[in-house]
Amino acid sequence: MKRRSIVKYAAVAAALSLGLTACGSGGGDAKAAGTVRVTLANHVWTEGIKAAIPEFEKATGLKVELTQLGEDQLSDQYNVKLNAGSDEIDVMMYRPLQEGKAFAKNGYLADLTSKVSADANWDWKDYQEGPVKASTVDGKVVGVPIITEREVLYYRKDLLQAAGVQVPKTMDELEAAAKKIAAANPDTAGFVARTAKSAAVTQFSSFLYSFGGDFTDADGKSAVGSDAAKKAYSFYGGLIKNYGPKNVSTDMSWPEAMAIFTQGKAAFYTEADSLYKNATDPAKSKVADKVGFAALPAGPAGSKPYNIPSWGLAVNNASGNQDNAWKFIQWATSKDRTLAAQKAGVPGPRASVWADPAGTSTYPKDLAEAIATSAKNGVGHDRPQVITVGKAREIVGEPIVASITGADASSAADSANEAFQKFLDSEKK
Amino acid sequence: MTVLTQSQTSAAPQAPAPRRRKPLGTRAYKVFRVVALVAVVLFLIAPLFWMLLASFKTNVDIYDTAKSFIFTPTGENYANVLQRNNYFIFIFNSFWVAFVSTALSLVLGVPAAYAMSRFTMGRSALVVLMARVIPGVSLLVPWYYVFSNLKMVGGFEVLILSHMFVALPLIVYIMMSYFDSLPLELEESAQVDGLTPIGAFRRITLPLSVSGIATAGILSFIFSWNNFMFALVLSGSKTKTLPVAIFDFVSYASIDWGGLMAAATVVTIPIMIIALFTQKYIVSGLTAGATKG
Repeated sequence: MKRRSIVKYAAVAAALSLGLTACGSGGGDAKAAGTVRVTLANHVWTEGIKAAIPEFEKATGLKVELTQLGEDQLSDQYNVKLNAGSDEIDVMMYRPLQEGKAFAKNGYLADLTSKVSADANWDWKDYQEGPVKASTVDGKVVGVPIITEREVLYYRKDLLQAAGVQVPKTMDELEAAAKKIAAANPDTAGFVARTAKSAAVTQFSSFLYSFGGDFTDADGKSAVGSDAAKKAYSFYGGLIKNYGPKNVSTDMSWPEAMAIFTQGKAAFYTEADSLYKNATDPAKSKVADKVGFAALPAGPAGSKPYNIPSWGLAVNNASGNQDNAWKFIQWATSKDRTLAAQKAGVPGPRASVWADPAGTSTYPKDLAEAIATSAKNGVGHDRPQVITVGKAREIVGEPIVASITGADASSAADSANEAFQKFLDSEKK
Repeated sequence: MTVLTQSQTSAAPQAPAPRRRKPLGTRAYKVFRVVALVAVVLFLIAPLFWMLLASFKTNVDIYDTAKSFIFTPTGENYANVLQRNNYFIFIFNSFWVAFVSTALSLVLGVPAAYAMSRFTMGRSALVVLMARVIPGVSLLVPWYYVFSNLKMVGGFEVLILSHMFVALPLIVYIMMSYFDSLPLELEESAQVDGLTPIGAFRRITLPLSVSGIATAGILSFIFSWNNFMFALVLSGSKTKTLPVAIFDFVSYASIDWGGLMAAATVVTIPIMIIALFTQKYIVSGLTAGATKG
């Protein structure tokens, strides 16, 4: 009796584990020579590439294995997998400014310097300067930019017309226009923008540059306590505090701020141009036909929006398949593919595609103009260029929130300056 | 709220000191109970209700406060989730991983818990508890390293194993306290009547423990169904589970709230149905474990 019971349980357990192995898909066997394993973020760009992958497979005889994830999930996955020295990723889509420096310092990213300059047809020189700079760490090219962004001014044509104001060219005009429209329309805010500490940093950066400041000075010291920075903090926060939505939350990233604008509750909105479809698509926006675009208004130092690569492609340094990985990148970033992506609403990094009338044919005309201007005088970063970007953003974002809530922006900037300098010192060690 | 205060004041003088011991019958208590229940239910249901409503709205309507409750429903989000994004595959993946990891954990965990409960294996129990205490995140990197060297990442086996790591201690702990609460005399008399110790376990103790096993199994199933962290790193494109797949609706420059809410509803409903049908086991099983000191 005793033995029989044991045998019976053992049999059940064995049957279960057998079923388990039989149903396993054997995910690890992809190391076959002709496979490129590509990890991409959820993005319109990715949708385009996904649809075109059969072309690449046909032309090269390689097989592409695609993994697609949300941006934060992607980041988490890289941190675990690359940290464990995984060779299961060949091509990786990454954010050059957010994690590029950290990844490069950790040795995750393969050096592509010789590869990018080898093919004249593919043409590395065609890439805009800002994005190239952001993809280069310590003199080595570690990534190829694929998607670029600039901060532009979104505005409501109808509200401006009703109030009889021109599209603002300077920060002062922007403030005056926001004030006038907010006073005339009690339910509508004059201005809206991101308010959350970390999320707002990138959109605040263009204001900072236009007021003549930057996060760090030429010697790499913290500069968020400078006079220019203080003025920028109090201007950005003041716009939202005085002419922003009533009871404004200090937790807004782009989805929330964009929602206020697309529900028709704000006249001006400064945001990345790559998000423009959220405002012009009638399925997402109530004011789709009333949205206008303009270059960022000029501050005391001129109009200096960021012009950055939000995403790039890199090769995993631990991959044993680097040549095929490069083949994929070369194809995915070719002039044709860049043009196709740009037509689908993804601003690219190639100067020749921007110069080509077809490259801007699908964009609202005023947006194309704003982008062209911004690309010329743009700054190559939109956040502190450090290793632990997340932490740095929390520090330099503090005075933005202080300013929005009506606290003293100047003293907040001073304490942020001190904290940021400490942070920079600790990173140097 | 006014109803509550009125009835409180009117009921107070009618309830003299000695009668306070059984306030269950007073009107004030009844009203209070109803109000409290409604408040709690509203509080708990509101997010789910919002999710359900939003899953039938277009992306423009979701943000429109004027259309919070009155809107033209659309089935587009569900079509998007179930057809174009092929959620049936993810549902199967989630179900398979949760089912197998729970079943295996039960097969291994219930006898283990029985042994630990009956033979006072304090130290073994402590080791199992350790596994319960260590945060799963801290194990991800070493796991990934080991499993990727074994070429197992991306398969169902590795997901099932990782979920068992959490499910097994959970089951062992619930079952241990459950077995502790069963009288030893039952097994002793079974053995007097000629059953072996294992026979007594199988024919007497196990049938008596069904509600405990159901509790442990359901909790472990729910954990596995909801687990995001392990699946994120250890699953592959073919073994993606629902919590990971949900994030497909969030992309860099656009968020499909309607699709996201429809997907969240699809994830929530199966587990709600399971919990609804088995809740009496959960409640009795939990208290059975809890009353034992």
